[in-house]
Amino acid sequence: MSFQLKFDAKTVTLDALQRAAYALSDVATVEIREGDGEYICDVFPRDDGSHDDVEHRLRIGVIDYMLRQRIAEQTEPIRNLIFALAFSQTGLIAEEPAE
Amino acid sequence: MTIAFDRQSAVPAHWELLPFRFHALDPTTTLLTNLVGEQVCVNPYQLTEIVDGTCTDEALLAELRAKHIIRGFGERTSAELLAMKLRTRMRRLPDSTGLHIFVVTLRCEHTCKYCQVSRQPTSGARYDMTVQHAERALDIVFRSPSPRLKIEFQGGEPLLNFAIIQHIVTAARARNVGPTRDLSFVIASNLALLSDEILDYCKREGIYLSTSLDGPPDLHTRNRPRPGNDSWQRTVDGIGSAQRALGVDHVSALMTTTEGSLGRVREIIDQYRSLGVLNIFLRPISPYGFALRRRGGGNYGVEAWLKFYEEGLDYIFELNAAGTLMVETYAVIIAKKMFSNEDPGYVDLTSPAGIGLSALVYNYDGAVYASDEGRMLAEMGDHTFRLGHLDTDTYEDIMLSDALLSPLEQSITTSAPMCSTCAFEPYCGSDPVFHHATMGDAVGVKPLSAFCQRNMGVFTLLLRKYRDDPGARAVLRKWAHR
Repeated sequence: MSFQLKFDAKTVTLDALQRAAYALSDVATVEIREGDGEYICDVFPRDDGSHDDVEHRLRIGVIDYMLRQRIAEQTEPIRNLIFALAFSQTGLIAEEPAE
Repeated sequence: MTIAFDRQSAVPAHWELLPFRFHALDPTTTLLTNLVGEQVCVNPYQLTEIVDGTCTDEALLAELRAKHIIRGFGERTSAELLAMKLRTRMRRLPDSTGLHIFVVTLRCEHTCKYCQVSRQPTSGARYDMTVQHAERALDIVFRSPSPRLKIEFQGGEPLLNFAIIQHIVTAARARNVGPTRDLSFVIASNLALLSDEILDYCKREGIYLSTSLDGPPDLHTRNRPRPGNDSWQRTVDGIGSAQRALGVDHVSALMTTTEGSLGRVREIIDQYRSLGVLNIFLRPISPYGFALRRRGGGNYGVEAWLKFYEEGLDYIFELNAAGTLMVETYAVIIAKKMFSNEDPGYVDLTSPAGIGLSALVYNYDGAVYASDEGRMLAEMGDHTFRLGHLDTDTYEDIMLSDALLSPLEQSITTSAPMCSTCAFEPYCGSDPVFHHATMGDAVGVKPLSAFCQRNMGVFTLLLRKYRDDPGARAVLRKWAHR
């Protein structure tokens, strides 16, 4: 039996919601649409008896992915720096020919 | 328990975050891993305090700093150290391809229930590799930049075409001039046809032997029938003869978990121990070839295998505590990735995937495949991972083929859905052949993937043992630095 969950679009991003829905695909599929400042999720559990479990997993998943998004935003410059440092000394990138 | 986060909360005052990922091991323990897999466990409240910059627990902050999950403002060394560790982990990439598998014949005198190839009767000489194909394959072997070249002979039963093995060994040694490579040879054989002449040759040439041993006599013989029902006896006799002739370190054995293995892991390990083989790889069955049949031995789920694996690992930890230095190969590979800076480059646990980059397969008929599993799929009629043919294609044609580059590009875990945010990503890898075979797509849907479920289960298990069991922790540390 399907059910509906709503998330405030001011506090939750569509990216986090989509990722959380994808991570749930072993137990449910989710349709997401936007309306009146909310993301409306129609959730279709694979097992009829798993409503509560699926609902909790989706809510936790959204919060987890929001947190991951914050970490990624805070650390993007240093991540780029680390990768640049790591690959600058591998010899994998051929030198540009002299003009 | 869930915790709401204020997106506008304060940033740290005296320190800042380095890139890290997290995973809830249980409701009170969250694993944090940095870019190279160094880890710290915290509780969910601590995680929010760390991200908000409000954590004041000095001991925890010191641990997070030591594990490169945070750094002091303006601190340069942490970025440089992380870059160096990242480079160390990826140092194998420019040195592709180290393993070259020669399928010297498809003939076999066994009829194993889970056999992954379409074996042929022993008399069918048209299923043997020719000298011309062997020479063309060696052309490709010696184009690979890897400083270490391992040539593995497989079948069928490779000893049924021993003449071509001898030819390839001689020809490879003759080609290994100039900037020489570390060249080694392995014969993957059921050992039923092992003779003194073959052992003399292996000793002279320093050839390693690898065999299959599924456990006690009834289990092994049922899984691996042959005329006379003596496959276990022949394998065990072969292991003994090979150990005496070549030395214990030149003989290894692999097992395959079938339904009949479940509940018998101690007996299986004891069988290895009794033969002086102190290295066991508790492998699940692969979803290819005859293994997919109803009686193929693969009718069990990931949960059942994980239970089998944990029972086996617990027994091996017990044996180590009692002084027997038994080793489980998969746990060693993962322990190295978790608790050291070394990446052993195991084909199934690398990103990008190991297909082509770690291994190439030259089939008896001249076809070249990206992996042994790719060859098995071809035997089932799916040629997705066929990279070319020795009659017509060069090294460049093979290594730059779409059949290789396309799945390789999709196999980079840092850009795969769910893998990119997974705390286990530094320990894991991708297996495009497995996902293609089971889901029809090289990436696969991770929440539905048996590969993902199995590896997440093993990672969680090893971390739990490491955290909760001092004896297991000591063994895992030792394995990490073997």
